[in-house]
Amino acid sequence: MIEILSNAALATVQDLGRLGSLRFGVGTAGAMDELALAAGNLLLGNEAGAAGIEIPVFPFKVRFAEDCVFALTGADCGAKLDAEPLLPWWSHRARAGQVLTLGLPQGAQRASRAVLCLPGGVDVPEVLGSRSTQMRGAFGGHEGRALRKGDVLRAADPKRACRTGFGLVPPALALPLELDGLVALRVLPGAEYLGFEAASREAFWAGEWRITAQSDRYGYRLSGTALRPVAPMELRSHGIVPGVIQVPHSGQPIIQMRDAQPSGGYPKFGTVIEADLWRLGQAPIGSRIRFIETNWDEAVAALEQKEAWLAKVARMVALQRSGPMGVAA
Amino acid sequence: MSRMMKAPHELREIAGWMAASNIGFLELRMPGATVRLGRRGDKVAALDDGQRHDEPPVAHRPGATNRSGPLPFDSVTSTSVGVFLHAHPCATAPFARAGARVQAGQTLGLLRIGVLLLPVAASRAGTVAALRVEDGATVGYGAALVELHPL
Repeated sequence: MIEILSNAALATVQDLGRLGSLRFGVGTAGAMDELALAAGNLLLGNEAGAAGIEIPVFPFKVRFAEDCVFALTGADCGAKLDAEPLLPWWSHRARAGQVLTLGLPQGAQRASRAVLCLPGGVDVPEVLGSRSTQMRGAFGGHEGRALRKGDVLRAADPKRACRTGFGLVPPALALPLELDGLVALRVLPGAEYLGFEAASREAFWAGEWRITAQSDRYGYRLSGTALRPVAPMELRSHGIVPGVIQVPHSGQPIIQMRDAQPSGGYPKFGTVIEADLWRLGQAPIGSRIRFIETNWDEAVAALEQKEAWLAKVARMVALQRSGPMGVAA
Repeated sequence: MSRMMKAPHELREIAGWMAASNIGFLELRMPGATVRLGRRGDKVAALDDGQRHDEPPVAHRPGATNRSGPLPFDSVTSTSVGVFLHAHPCATAPFARAGARVQAGQTLGLLRIGVLLLPVAASRAGTVAALRVEDGATVGYGAALVELHPL
């Protein structure tokens, strides 16, 4: 069991998402950085899609009520177990009573969300096939809400004995994608792309976009050169998915994220490809990003590359965890 | 490790060498097949029918220290083929500098094996005499990485 000691504003229980329920009007939710969640789970020998805790606001503190292994991935937050500094993207072991503290994200590749994984995953009930917190519908995760001080969470397999004390090269380093020194995201032009002025289309790819403070798990509002339609576009509400870039009348785009509602009526300029959503999920508020035009084949190849990285992690971690090669007790 | 498919008697010979050493795991990659040999008690056995992989071969032994090294240094040696890192890839500050006092078990560097990072731990309390391998250099199994002056 772990007890939340800090005012954990916006920390939520997430798995890889509630897929297949869009037809009921239920959004996907799920980890904003699914690579961090999957890798953290694999470090402990969990299924890649077990539920973990996504932490976007710091400091964050939890106390381990009993001896427990855990993994930290995502943003490097200068984590400490009591006073002992912990490495990021690493599996660790806590003794009963120890307190884990995550501070502000640090380092050259400053990210924005840390992920804490527990053995067997966080033990919350599955709702509609997922343990992710559905904030809009107030179900799933821990009581359908963000975590609060005093909340107690259970690991599904708290007594698991497993090898810890090793880690991974973070995917931001293993699968980097930058343009002119900024995090870059690949985008498929959307259904209404050609309804925007040629100059706007050019500016979208050439310009820098700042992630404004009006950005969260629902969507990221960007600020940059306004995107102008050739003629006003009035659309009926239609289905949308995380990654869709909508352009409201202001011309400042909104990227739908994991907690997006499943429908909307703004024109769609493009879609951030699925394989790059984790990069966006880790881009901090105030940071600037770039877009790279891509196509279907490249988007599929990017997804395969991401899956290949996870398969490599699964294979190497399984060897390290089970084999005689392990060096760390 | 090899460009040629090994015959069964050659694999038995390799397993014999392995049993006589303190290597716990060996992956042989050959055209069309990969064989993994692992220690099971005193015996060495094929672990499974491996497939081709693009990771470097790994070979490990349980201990991290070559205690037979000449005094007064104690060499912390590499437990695997890999890349020796002085700092975590997210950080710039190295784990250890020459002259630093370290505790037994303290992390002195990391070994990167594909996507995996393993700690290189101090075999005993002491003072770091020298980092023997440059940051980012590829090292072989058993390479001396760090020299410690015992306290």
